[in-house]
Amino acid sequence: MDQKVTAPTIEKKTLIGQRVKKPDAPDKAIGKTRYINDMVLPQMLIGKVLFAGRPHARIVSIDTAAAERLPGVHAVLTGKDAAGLRFGFVRDNAALKDKVRCEHDEIAAVAAESEEIARQAIGLIEVVYEDLPGVFTPEDGAREDAPQIHDNFPGNKSLYFEFSHGEVAAAEADSDFVVDNVFRPHHVTHCCMGTSCAIADFDHNGKLTIWTQTQYPYNYKMDLAPALGLQPGDIRVIQPPVGGAFGSKLDVYPYEPIAALLAKRTGRPVKVIYSREEEFKASPTRQPAIIHMRTGCTRDGTLTFRTADVLLDNGAYTSWGPTIPVIMMRTVSGHYRVPVVDFKAQAIYTNNPYAGSFRGYGNVQTTWATAQQMDMLADMVDMEPLAFHLKNSQVSGEITPQKSFLRECVLVECLETAAGASDYSRKRKEYAAARAEPGRYKKGIGLASSIHNAGGAKIHKSDGIGTILKVDDYARVTVITGASEIGQGIDAVITLIVAEELGVPLEHVLIVNNDSDIAPWDVGVHASRTTFIAGNGTRRAARKAKAQILAAAEKMLGEPADTLELRGGSVVRDACGTPLIKLDRLLRQMHFQAEPELVMVTDYYEPKSEPEGAKHVSDHSAAYSHAVHVAEITVDTLTGEITVDKITMAQDVGRVINRMGLEAQIEGGLAIGLGYALSENMLLDRGLLKNPCFRDYKLLTAPEMPPLDLHFIESDCAEGPYGAKGISELPTIVIAPAIANALYNATGVRVFDPPMSPEKVARAIDAQRQAAGG
Amino acid sequence: MSLETEINFTLNGRPVTVRVPVAMKTLTMLREVLGLTGTKYACGEGECGACTVKVDGRTLNSCLMHAVDCDGRELVTIEGLKSPAGMNPTQKAFVDHGAVQCGFCMPGMIIQADYLTDDDPQLTREQAQRGLEGNLCRCTGYTKVLDAVEAAVEAKRCGR
Amino acid sequence: MQEIKSYLAPRSLDEAVKAMAAGDVTVFCGGTDLTPQTDSGAKRYGATLMNIRRIEGLSGIAEAGDSIRIGAATTVTEVRRDPLIARAAPILAEAAEHFASDQIRNAASLGGNICNASPAGDMINPLLVLDAAVELASWADGALRTRSVPLENFFTGPRRHVKRPDELLTAIVFRKPATDFVGWFRKSGPRPALEISTVSVGIGGNLSDGVFRNVRVAMGSVAPTPLRAHGVEAALEGRPLDADSIRAAVAAADADATPIDDVRASAWYRKHLVKVFTEEVLNHVLGN
Ligand SMILES: Cc1cc2nc3c(=O)[nH]c(=O)nc-3n(C[C@H](O)[C@H](O)[C@H](O)COP(=O)(O)OP(=O)(O)OC[C@H]3O[C@@H](n4cnc5c(N)ncnc54)[C@H](O)[C@@H]3O)c2cc1C
Ligand code: FES
Ligand code: FES
Repeated sequence: MDQKVTAPTIEKKTLIGQRVKKPDAPDKAIGKTRYINDMVLPQMLIGKVLFAGRPHARIVSIDTAAAERLPGVHAVLTGKDAAGLRFGFVRDNAALKDKVRCEHDEIAAVAAESEEIARQAIGLIEVVYEDLPGVFTPEDGAREDAPQIHDNFPGNKSLYFEFSHGEVAAAEADSDFVVDNVFRPHHVTHCCMGTSCAIADFDHNGKLTIWTQTQYPYNYKMDLAPALGLQPGDIRVIQPPVGGAFGSKLDVYPYEPIAALLAKRTGRPVKVIYSREEEFKASPTRQPAIIHMRTGCTRDGTLTFRTADVLLDNGAYTSWGPTIPVIMMRTVSGHYRVPVVDFKAQAIYTNNPYAGSFRGYGNVQTTWATAQQMDMLADMVDMEPLAFHLKNSQVSGEITPQKSFLRECVLVECLETAAGASDYSRKRKEYAAARAEPGRYKKGIGLASSIHNAGGAKIHKSDGIGTILKVDDYARVTVITGASEIGQGIDAVITLIVAEELGVPLEHVLIVNNDSDIAPWDVGVHASRTTFIAGNGTRRAARKAKAQILAAAEKMLGEPADTLELRGGSVVRDACGTPLIKLDRLLRQMHFQAEPELVMVTDYYEPKSEPEGAKHVSDHSAAYSHAVHVAEITVDTLTGEITVDKITMAQDVGRVINRMGLEAQIEGGLAIGLGYALSENMLLDRGLLKNPCFRDYKLLTAPEMPPLDLHFIESDCAEGPYGAKGISELPTIVIAPAIANALYNATGVRVFDPPMSPEKVARAIDAQRQAAGG
Repeated sequence: MSLETEINFTLNGRPVTVRVPVAMKTLTMLREVLGLTGTKYACGEGECGACTVKVDGRTLNSCLMHAVDCDGRELVTIEGLKSPAGMNPTQKAFVDHGAVQCGFCMPGMIIQADYLTDDDPQLTREQAQRGLEGNLCRCTGYTKVLDAVEAAVEAKRCGR
Repeated sequence: MQEIKSYLAPRSLDEAVKAMAAGDVTVFCGGTDLTPQTDSGAKRYGATLMNIRRIEGLSGIAEAGDSIRIGAATTVTEVRRDPLIARAAPILAEAAEHFASDQIRNAASLGGNICNASPAGDMINPLLVLDAAVELASWADGALRTRSVPLENFFTGPRRHVKRPDELLTAIVFRKPATDFVGWFRKSGPRPALEISTVSVGIGGNLSDGVFRNVRVAMGSVAPTPLRAHGVEAALEGRPLDADSIRAAVAAADADATPIDDVRASAWYRKHLVKVFTEEVLNHVLGN
């Protein structure tokens, strides 16, 4: 070879576990990124929606004549324009309604030349309603004489789920202690900083292009098609950068087909974008629930059974919210070793807003209950809680009653790490002893843990991903993948894996993942699956490319492929790092030789998990993971204000891939969990939202974010990419009950219905004082 | 239609003359009249800070400010922080410290952080927390944002 | 439709009040109250929109004899950072410290806070404690007229006040407190500042030889207007500040406050907080 004898050797350096910057960050930091909210197309019209503004009513008449006459208005649509076009999980929804079932029901829509004209036109539409009695709690909805919300769902019954294992009565008879409580996790919403937006445009052949914020582009086509009377194949989904999603974009919501119906009618591109108030009122919520939970244990602290009877407030339509029992039951049956389980969940239609999926999907609600009952039981048994948790912890190789196979389980390490680092046991005892002493400010410490799927969740027929990877003549790598970037940082993970496998600089990796006509199938960004699934897909594709490149190098260099490696943009001898040929040069030689070849590979990865199934007995995720949070708080017992002083967290991450991205996901997830625990609350008064603004719906702000002590436990997952597991939901799931347990430790007060707002805490403490007679 | 008036001001170092409806807000003028979409709308009520811009050296919520009030003043938006030499130290710190996730809050967050670090070269982490109270972020939990602000203070001190 | 027929940004006070005399003028300063109110339709623009930020002499903090004069257009940030205020009236700086966010403080004016007449107005509270008066200017019979109204008499109901539509609030004036003046401001909420006060309490007076005199107590968000809590004042006036008088003051706070339920808090919680804060602030003063 003609390489210089003095060429420096290239050391093997792994990127796994390093801090890698997000490739999309610079453009975002300089204000150049064009979000969907910023997009303007030539000829584009603005679509606006008329919302009902009342929870339950018959539509007597709609007069759109004045709106249609307004100059600049191009189309006015009402329920009859969407008649027969039902969509949604159980086909109970329509883009425009023929009856009002909740406050934000879409009654009419206009497309006009400007926002201003569209707004005026909306004001000119006259609707006569006949209000109907409403249903605002699932208990009321389940009553025999309750008003019916949908004709074809008698008794207001929506979805039902159950799972049971073993004999509860016998297990209860064997129990020395049983805790029995009703928990009421509440309505909260995603609050993506970028409000909901869709732009639709039809071509001459009737093919729809829709620019959307969706986080599941392929099933999205299938779900959107019936709302428009199209075939899924006639829809092209383009995903521009979005201002957050967090699960809120895992379904089709009416503004999307509305944009498309308006585009179809006008023959022009139409953009629908929500104001913040519309966003609060018309976007999905986290699924509220009423959870009646009972857990038993023996005198020596061994769990005997757990039952959960769940009523879900379905809201007016069925999106992903009421499917959360699929995950809830995994926690009920798998959060610690529970030999006997009984789980039932019934969703009841109400005239409230309806829920979608939201980071932590079902497990936020369940862990709120299970983790508090663990704390209560430990006190009943009079065991030091850490010991109680450890006694019931699963270990690697255990299988839960639902057949979740905990291959690599480090719950014990997580518990010991978090409790040890925070000095949990000592402080808990000390603070409990100080409870009765005088003093306005009380310190408390609380521990909570949970389990979550960490290798996808096979609730669809497939949990797979397609990847196309090409390496061009200049050694630039393009990864074409179904994995969506919604801010969570998957682009950084893909970049890192390609650079790791192919030895190219991070900047030489390009990702195409925003166009369903180009990128292959993926289920979507949900279930903490993307790093796991897309990470595997990318690594497999990159390894195929590498094999092809090294085979060509073997032919050209005459050295066996298995002694060669790709490093620093060159082919090197693996053993000593001596560079043999620059990668781009090799690629050109491959391309321009007598038997030319290009490096273009495809891969389809389907994780080794089992379909959920109707009985819910299956190993539905390729991995499971645990997290333990310890919250230290100070309670102002007079104002009821809780200050979180510190959070210590230990989580099984499998293996750290991009350390910076991992920390970022954990920190962000914690913040959402903290808001849920302390302040966020949709105040609904007979179906009407009273606080559709950030002034009165309180997100966590910078001064409220406590210091964090994060510990990543590496269980080295055999199926995960480099051993990694999915991580991003657990931080949101575990923190609220940790704070609830800390509140109890500090004050002796327990809150069953989040958020633990100052007023609620102050009232509870006041009631406790009154009861104590002083 | 509604009354318009002509205003003159400096935008990211360049003089601008523009006619705007008198009730229009600065945010709308920037995004829809001048095509500077870096500055974001996320609430329109002064609660989130996504629309933060610098006016005569101090930061304001552009969604609350009448565009006509820009007359004769000096505005800097996120697009104006960068120089031909590259990102400004605050922007660079945000990228390097992983403070950017979906990025939607970032134009406002970075302008505010840049203002805070210019205004007080000794800015502490606690002061930064207070100073960023008016900037909501749903993605990051602020921890990396605060790391970035600390790094920006340091970078500015070293004159980088 | 809101039809604005003219836009003015006067440089002089005369120009401004002349225009106001002509009628139907909507004034804005920082716009932090006006914009959300007009956007939501709660308020509509008049025929003339007037920007008062350009009026010379309308902002700034200055000593005038034994008084302090704050121009109506002075921002909360300016108050928060002003050395004179920090020295002479720290209670005002304290309220500025717990006001909204940096961006809002940079825009929000004291005049706007007062004219908006919200019972939750955070600058109003300490100004009541300082016994401030406001200066109102108007144009009549070819001349500039001004009158001074004690802030205590300014508010007449929810978002209502004695200022006529043709009057511009030009300044806030209060006597420099004596050296034995102590004052404290307390606002509720887990957030340090970006929070519409669920309740606020301000207490001030001259404390010498353990006796509290010229006591003024203000409460926010517990009545239709910002409130002077005369019952609490009476419970403290001329008495030694001790456990007994504090107990009496807390009982009086309960009677003075007549809050309502709304999305931010129940009446019960507001009453509860008023008592807690009254006790807390007085204990603080006692501790000093
Ligand atoms: C996000 C947010 C947070 C907030 N937090 C707080 C808080 O913590 N505490 C608090 O007290 N307030 C708060 N406010 C309310 C507001 O910022 C203040 O009331 C502010 O002081 C208003 O001043 P401005 O200059 O912006 O008033 P503008 O909005 O310009 O005017 C308010 C009203 O007063 C009139 N007006 C203004 N100046 C004069 C004058 N000189 N003469 C006659 N009329 C006049 C206007 O016509 C208008 O009706 C908040 C507002 C927002 C948007
Ligand atoms: S958009 Fe201006 S503060 Fe939210
Ligand atoms: S990075 Fe997404 S809102 Fe801040």
